[in-house]
Amino acid sequence: MRRALTVGLIALGFVLMIVGYFASAPWGAESVSNSDPGFAFAPAVFVLGVIVAFSSALVYELYDDRRER
Amino acid sequence: MAKYAMVVDLHRCQGCRACVEACKIENNTGEGMFWMHVFRFEEGSYPDTRMSFLPRPCQHCDNAPCVKVCPTGARFKRDDGIVLTDAERCIGCRYCELACPYGVNYFNWQDPEDSQYAEMIDWTDPDIQQATGGAVPPYRNPDLEELWGSEQRRTGGGGHAKGVMEKCTFCVQRVEKGGQPACVDTCPVNALLFGDVDDPDTPISRFMRENETWRLLEETGTEPRVRYVGGKPPSQSYTEVERPKARV
Amino acid sequence: MATEVATPRTKDLPQRVGRFTTGWKLFTVAGLVVLAFAIFAYVRELGSGMIATGMRNVGTMGGATWGLYITMVVYFVGVSFAGITVAALIRIFELGKLRPIARTAELLTVVALILGAIAIIVDLGQPIRGIVNLFRYARPQSPFFGTFALVIAGYLFASLVYLYLGGRRDAAAMAHYPSRLRGFYRWWAAGYMDTPEEQARHRRTSFWLAVAIVPLLVIAHSTLGFVFGLQVGRPGWYGTLQAPAFVALAGVSGVGLIIVLGAIVKRIVGDTERVSVDVFSWLGKFLLGLLLVYLYFMTVELLTLLYATPAVEKQLSDALLFGPYAWTYWGSVALLAVPALVLIWQAVTRRWNIGWLVASGVAVNLAAIGKRYLIVVPSQTHGTLLPYEVGSYSPSWIEYGVVLGLFALGALMIGLFVKIFPPLPLSDEEVMADA
Repeated sequence: MRRALTVGLIALGFVLMIVGYFASAPWGAESVSNSDPGFAFAPAVFVLGVIVAFSSALVYELYDDRRER
Repeated sequence: MAKYAMVVDLHRCQGCRACVEACKIENNTGEGMFWMHVFRFEEGSYPDTRMSFLPRPCQHCDNAPCVKVCPTGARFKRDDGIVLTDAERCIGCRYCELACPYGVNYFNWQDPEDSQYAEMIDWTDPDIQQATGGAVPPYRNPDLEELWGSEQRRTGGGGHAKGVMEKCTFCVQRVEKGGQPACVDTCPVNALLFGDVDDPDTPISRFMRENETWRLLEETGTEPRVRYVGGKPPSQSYTEVERPKARV
Repeated sequence: MATEVATPRTKDLPQRVGRFTTGWKLFTVAGLVVLAFAIFAYVRELGSGMIATGMRNVGTMGGATWGLYITMVVYFVGVSFAGITVAALIRIFELGKLRPIARTAELLTVVALILGAIAIIVDLGQPIRGIVNLFRYARPQSPFFGTFALVIAGYLFASLVYLYLGGRRDAAAMAHYPSRLRGFYRWWAAGYMDTPEEQARHRRTSFWLAVAIVPLLVIAHSTLGFVFGLQVGRPGWYGTLQAPAFVALAGVSGVGLIIVLGAIVKRIVGDTERVSVDVFSWLGKFLLGLLLVYLYFMTVELLTLLYATPAVEKQLSDALLFGPYAWTYWGSVALLAVPALVLIWQAVTRRWNIGWLVASGVAVNLAAIGKRYLIVVPSQTHGTLLPYEVGSYSPSWIEYGVVLGLFALGALMIGLFVKIFPPLPLSDEEVMADA
């Protein structure tokens, strides 16, 4: 369970990072659409992804095995 | 879709700075902010000197470094070529000012009301009142508060708030209404031309066909939309004289 | 399950934690006074606008629009290099010798990143809007995105996690001492049992955390270099060497500051053996290596400038080498070269002296601040591509006040930490006996 949660959080973190990064305003400087993110607060999603991925370390160490019994 | 550009005819510019004044009045820019600036260059040393003038509006580059570096997308380029600043999204980091090779960006270092020339003149003086008709700057043009373009952003004019960046907008509030920038309209010798360069019949397109043009700082790869006719690109051996004593 | 502990050897918490000496109190009061002054200065800046600073527009206004604040942003983010590098050296390269200094280094990283983040905020014309809009609209193609999203948000969080997990064992031990901070230690320990299984798990986590943070570190410092290095319109900034040079100087200032901080911490906790000359000599060797790399970069840059300078850069390089910035330039070179010689001497004679090492650490940090200033400012006053007249910049009292306040805040944070948590890993004697 500990491993599953850890791996899950890392995976979730990466998904959020990828979604957040590519949804933040697209590369290019030719038109207005290059200055708006795909959805509001997309960069926050990216940052959240980084945080989620690193909190997997917290889960890995702090997960309480005794709960399973 | 129109594609706007500007041509500056250096054969005609005689350095009267009417364009600088017109820009200030139209756009309500504060002290020391010269969206349109006219260089006076001196080349060589006495007695072999040459003088020249060079109007320098924002170049509205196609590969604008200011647009690329803006962290929030407040500086953006429209599909018609005009590069604008969203006064509500700008966080005042001043990165665009540093990325720009031409030095056209200005920051509101203080409250816009405090940066007007109001402190230098007593606007209640009756003689001055006679000349101004009682108006006290800033002469607010209501168009400066509107949202412009299909993108609906507050991009017209300057002096919106302290702590935000601003620069020449090709007078978007005039262009959107079918007009021309204030500097172009005001120039007494028609040294400035503005219009749609995709349309071959506009005066600017015809002028560009008939004359050889060059662009400022071509080597930086910014692809400016302002072209110059006559004169030559300023080199490092030029000195600027008559620098505006404009340090707020 | 925690069993009851034997009578402690001493009722006092180890490493003088919880003992607020008069010296400490005076230091804290002084720090708070400076901080209060800085807040006053910043409130003035907020009220009147940034005209209260010495910064002005580049070009027609003849000023510099990025000044002391951005200098300190680059400096603080650079210093944060230290902590994770030490952690990586310990975990990835198994340099156990540096363990005593690990927590101090990580603390320095966390504090430096917080100070760097605050320094950016105080430089914004619209600070609140800045915080909100960066989360809302930040664009990846702006180099600021990397600095904001990865450095401040990612790197800081990762370092906090690393610091937290690394302290659990000592927190569990501290919780056995009778003290007012017991609840805090229990919270930090989060049920740490120090079983072989937990130890193995912690080793694994620390290793992989260090592995994951190292690329963050490289990206963070490189994007900071890119902020400057990608600007084709700024002579002196545009260049491919900016990113690597930033990383190198970050290392120099970071390791230098760990040496200084290590010596201070050693003094505060009254340690005589753990943070030994051995630890300092290792840090000194590491600092020397980084210094030589950076001096190499500087030499290459200087030789290139002296041999041939493009016309657009001539004004800038003249200003740096012989003009208004010459004192800062050559002063920084001296503050890097002399410590390098001192370190070489110590390395060759194998006689490492903590005092000389601390002096070197201070010198290279002063040089780092000078070099950061020289990167930020001269390219604005003397580096316009169009032939504007040259400009000038000198910081106002507000900028000095805020920057001093940042240093005070950092010192206060570190000062508080070492009084509520042991900065050195607890020795076996300090760890209470328990089952």
